Amino acid sequence: MPSTLTLAPVVPSAAAEQVRAEVREFLAAELAAGTFTTHVDTWLSGVDPAFSRKLGERGWLGMTWPRRYGGHERTAMERYAVTEELLAAGAPVAAHWIADRQSGPNLLRYGTEAQRAEILPRIAAGECYFVIGMSEPDSGSDLASIRTRATRNGDGDWVVNGAKVWTSNAHTSHYAITLVRTSPADPAHRHAGLSQLLVDLSLPGITVNPIRILDGGHHFNEVVFDDVVVPGDMLLGEEGNGWHQVTAELAFERSGPERFLSTYPLIAEFARRVADSGDPAQLATLGRVSARLLALRQLSLRIAGALDRGELPDIPAALVKDVGTTFEADVIDEVRRAVDVPASLDSPDPLGRALAEAQLHAPGYTLRGGTNEILRGIVARGLGLR
Amino acid sequence: MRDLVVATVRDILAAHEPFVLTRERPWDSGLWAELAEAGLTGVGIPEEAGGSGGELADAVAIVATLAAGAAAVPVAEQLLVAAPAVLAADLDLPAPDEPLSAAVDGAVTAEPRDDGDGPGSWTLIGTATDVAWAGVAQHLVVLAGSPVGPVLALVDVAGRETTHAANLAGEPRGSLVLQGVTAAGALLTERQADELRARYALARAVQLSAALEQVLAWTVQYAGERQQFGRPLGKFQAVQMQLAEMAGEVTAVAALVDSAVQAIERGDSPVLAAAAAKVRAGSAVEVVARLAHQVHGAIGFTQEHRLHHLTRRCWSWRDEAGTETAWARVLGAGLLADGPDALWPALTRVL
Ligand SMILES: Cc1cc2nc3c(=O)[nH]c(=O)nc-3n(C[C@H](O)[C@H](O)[C@H](O)COP(=O)(O)OP(=O)(O)OC[C@H]3O[C@@H](n4cnc5c(N)ncnc54)[C@H](O)[C@@H]3O)c2cc1C
Repeated sequence: MPSTLTLAPVVPSAAAEQVRAEVREFLAAELAAGTFTTHVDTWLSGVDPAFSRKLGERGWLGMTWPRRYGGHERTAMERYAVTEELLAAGAPVAAHWIADRQSGPNLLRYGTEAQRAEILPRIAAGECYFVIGMSEPDSGSDLASIRTRATRNGDGDWVVNGAKVWTSNAHTSHYAITLVRTSPADPAHRHAGLSQLLVDLSLPGITVNPIRILDGGHHFNEVVFDDVVVPGDMLLGEEGNGWHQVTAELAFERSGPERFLSTYPLIAEFARRVADSGDPAQLATLGRVSARLLALRQLSLRIAGALDRGELPDIPAALVKDVGTTFEADVIDEVRRAVDVPASLDSPDPLGRALAEAQLHAPGYTLRGGTNEILRGIVARGLGLR
Repeated sequence: MRDLVVATVRDILAAHEPFVLTRERPWDSGLWAELAEAGLTGVGIPEEAGGSGGELADAVAIVATLAAGAAAVPVAEQLLVAAPAVLAADLDLPAPDEPLSAAVDGAVTAEPRDDGDGPGSWTLIGTATDVAWAGVAQHLVVLAGSPVGPVLALVDVAGRETTHAANLAGEPRGSLVLQGVTAAGALLTERQADELRARYALARAVQLSAALEQVLAWTVQYAGERQQFGRPLGKFQAVQMQLAEMAGEVTAVAALVDSAVQAIERGDSPVLAAAAAKVRAGSAVEVVARLAHQVHGAIGFTQEHRLHHLTRRCWSWRDEAGTETAWARVLGAGLLADGPDALWPALTRVL
């Protein structure tokens, strides 16, 4: 195995198992109290600020960050256990997900002291939410081709013009880490001249237009910037270093358990059916699906271990996301072929509803965060082919 | 120690031509002799028991290296399955240079002998089927059923009548008639019997993982060498996608199999971990073998080319020591043991 793809094994940590048990207990109580109901793909669609604040109160956001920024100085393995439990329960975690997963770490790495002190404690409290402002109407996979521009005005502030799309939860969030062009495109150096800005979404000149996904749900948006004046001190990191920063961010974005557990609630519902029927073919399906899930878990855990060692495993992260999102979509057809249950959001059968939710969100799994074709290109680079 | 052992096995393998198995040449006895000479057929077996010492992980490393080299010798059966079972049951282990295999599918029954030979002596009745290296192994560990529970019997099968059957790679998988054979044996608990079957499955998963990794490496190498349209195949994006998909499967299998081996080293119960490893490794064969052959083109479809030595083994190994489907059922049922609402906790406990 090429060393770019090899991940050192991790030993399960007692601290992680401890916090896992605490989260499990919390979730059982919340479910029993009816504060949430389980759904598929809730890290996109389950926006619930009250729930996010509860997690913040319990110290389950910003877990790995320094205490002086409201963090809890815990390991990536402990954070992994918390996120995994939340996803398995189908809990409403979308409000804070991006901020906790990648914007916070990005600020820690590149932010100024003032930016960190101002924002990180609010993220850790479950009160401040972020969006990813990368994609544009004409720039998807080819992210370096973005055209949203930021230019300095006489006061040293940034004036931003352009538009971002597919911006998940921009309508419920506070900040967008926005990738902008700060010097003109240079065909010889495509990745140069990009920068990240910390943009307060309430600034004048920003319009957030809903874009509905195919089932009518409102999760992502178009965000239009019309002469938006962003204070000069809201540059994130270095001017011109945006490409490098975005790449680092993607290692966090791509490797977590949300890349294979989006449809876990469907598996859980299927398990109830299998336990009732005892049908051997259904048992085998459950076993096959579980074996795939268990392998992905080991990979994702190993990446958490690598993050704890301060590594940036971007190539394995791309691999996990490719294999993981393929799995979370495959689960739908594995289950479909094992039962006689038509998918419908109005089904009287919870399995029919879970199938419907999973199917209607399925096209997104292998697109968001970089398409699987792009990810395989990265893996191919890891294999030494490009 | 581990690196040295692996290097020694590689050196020995490098001096051997790929071995084409036929009915007349059912195994690579020359390779076995060299491995035995170097003490490698006794790794993981304590010196007091006649072995070479070392840990389970050393034995796993040897099995993996030999699997990647398509070695036609019963090392996985001996080092990872049969010898540990004999030792755990307190039976006398045959010398490590005498090939030892295992039959665990339970088609044989054992009756305790009451003729004064003592409780450790049993009469076996029935036919052991799908026996790996039947006709090659001199001794066979047989998991038999008895009125008082599962029995692990150790049978000297040298010279016994064997039906010839082979798996897709030509590895012997025949049957042995054991009607009325007397053998030393020990009673096992049901759990011990399950664990023995699980270890066999894990041994195949270790072999699969190593073989799949090698198939990927060969395919990447070939794609870098073979030129069409003026450039190496690996420069074509369509081929890159195929290789990346293979790498995804291979990496997932390696992580799970590796973690399963470590869990067993820690003393965790092997059954669900082994089941998961076996099912995951087996299911990767479909993608990896298919794409490896696709990328190799016609040359990879020939007997001369090395690729089939591993792809044919993979096609068989995935359904040996319990089929992929059977292990998937075991895993599914095991995960539901505490009820469907406990599926998630069960998943997080397997490994
Ligand atoms: C649910 C969801 C949420 C999202 N949330 C956000 C968000 O919050 N913020 C944000 O910035 N973006 C977000 N995105 C956008 C996402 O990052 C893009 O969809 C993705 O990068 C692909 O871009 P595209 O949709 O323009 O497709 P395109 O880039 O146009 O690609 C279309 C197809 O062509 C293939 N393709 C493109 N280039 C190549 C190539 N070089 N080689 C081979 N195949 C190629 C792609 O793989 C894909 O199959 C979200 C997307 C979804 C579905």
